[in-house]
Amino acid sequence: MRKGLQSLAAVCLSAAMVAGTAPTVLAAPAERYLHIKVDDPSKGESVNVNVPLSMAEKILPTVNKGSLHNGHVTIGKADLNDVDVRAILDALRTAQDNEFVAVKEKDQEVRVAKSNGNIIVHVRDSGKEGQKVDVTVPMKVVDALLSTAKENELDVAAALRALSDAGDALLVTVQDATQHVRIWVDSHNTQD
Amino acid sequence: MIVLGKVALGIAGVAAAGVGLICSEGMIEVNMVERQPEAHHVYVLAPAAVVPMAVHFIPSHEFGHASAELQPWMPTIRAALDQLREVDDVTLVDVTEPGQHVVVAKKGGSVVVDVNDRDETVHVSAPIRAISSTIEQVAAASHDSPN
Repeated sequence: MRKGLQSLAAVCLSAAMVAGTAPTVLAAPAERYLHIKVDDPSKGESVNVNVPLSMAEKILPTVNKGSLHNGHVTIGKADLNDVDVRAILDALRTAQDNEFVAVKEKDQEVRVAKSNGNIIVHVRDSGKEGQKVDVTVPMKVVDALLSTAKENELDVAAALRALSDAGDALLVTVQDATQHVRIWVDSHNTQD
Repeated sequence: MIVLGKVALGIAGVAAAGVGLICSEGMIEVNMVERQPEAHHVYVLAPAAVVPMAVHFIPSHEFGHASAELQPWMPTIRAALDQLREVDDVTLVDVTEPGQHVVVAKKGGSVVVDVNDRDETVHVSAPIRAISSTIEQVAAASHDSPN
């Protein structure tokens, strides 16, 4: 009788522990959003787009048009003047943190570097437009892009999944004389 | 007298169930206010379930090429609408131009479009389930069409 009661108590305790931990274990991960913001104060124009990444992940594999098939994009070497994008990305992936490209011209400065698990591209154009471009791509996303077995393909769907798993990130900013573009990922469903 | 009362109760019950069924997919709301040159106001609030039913009765040839053109995009449309149903409320697109403001959002189980410009204000709200059923009906019409 006493053993039976002890067993019952143990079962109840286990059930209570499972019930207590279940919500944390089963809690769905927060939705991630890809935000795009384009502002042109000179014309009083603005465009704000907020896309749930889970939605983009599900939609992309269903689009089969042009070079996009089942979430993979086919890269034609002819389109890129025989530049092997896959080989370049692979080289960047395996390289140590470093500045790989630094080009300085009269009106333009271009830098490509790998830092803290990100590929960073800076372009500064001090010409008439005064354009500044900053692109940051987490290496996880690059890895995912290259995760497909085919040589001439990039796995965009996997890259979106990787972006979803990565932390909050400012991916692209473009600033010129009139326009300001920002593309970033976070857990907020608004741009505020 | 009691029999009459039971019949009346039965009719009222069937009517209530019918209204419940028709309204089960939510309501489509269209609100348009024209500002110039004369102020016109159009307001329509209709049960969303009626639209796919109505589409069912439109002869398939009336859709022209729309059905055939929709067909290849149906997997994408289905995925988009399914996911839209799942995600939290969100403003998908917000465009501001001088004199014009357009917002496309997901609110509750509906897609809401608000257009506000110098000449008119348009508000359309349609349940995602109704949009999905209607698009499925239109796409299916290409199978029924004689060509």
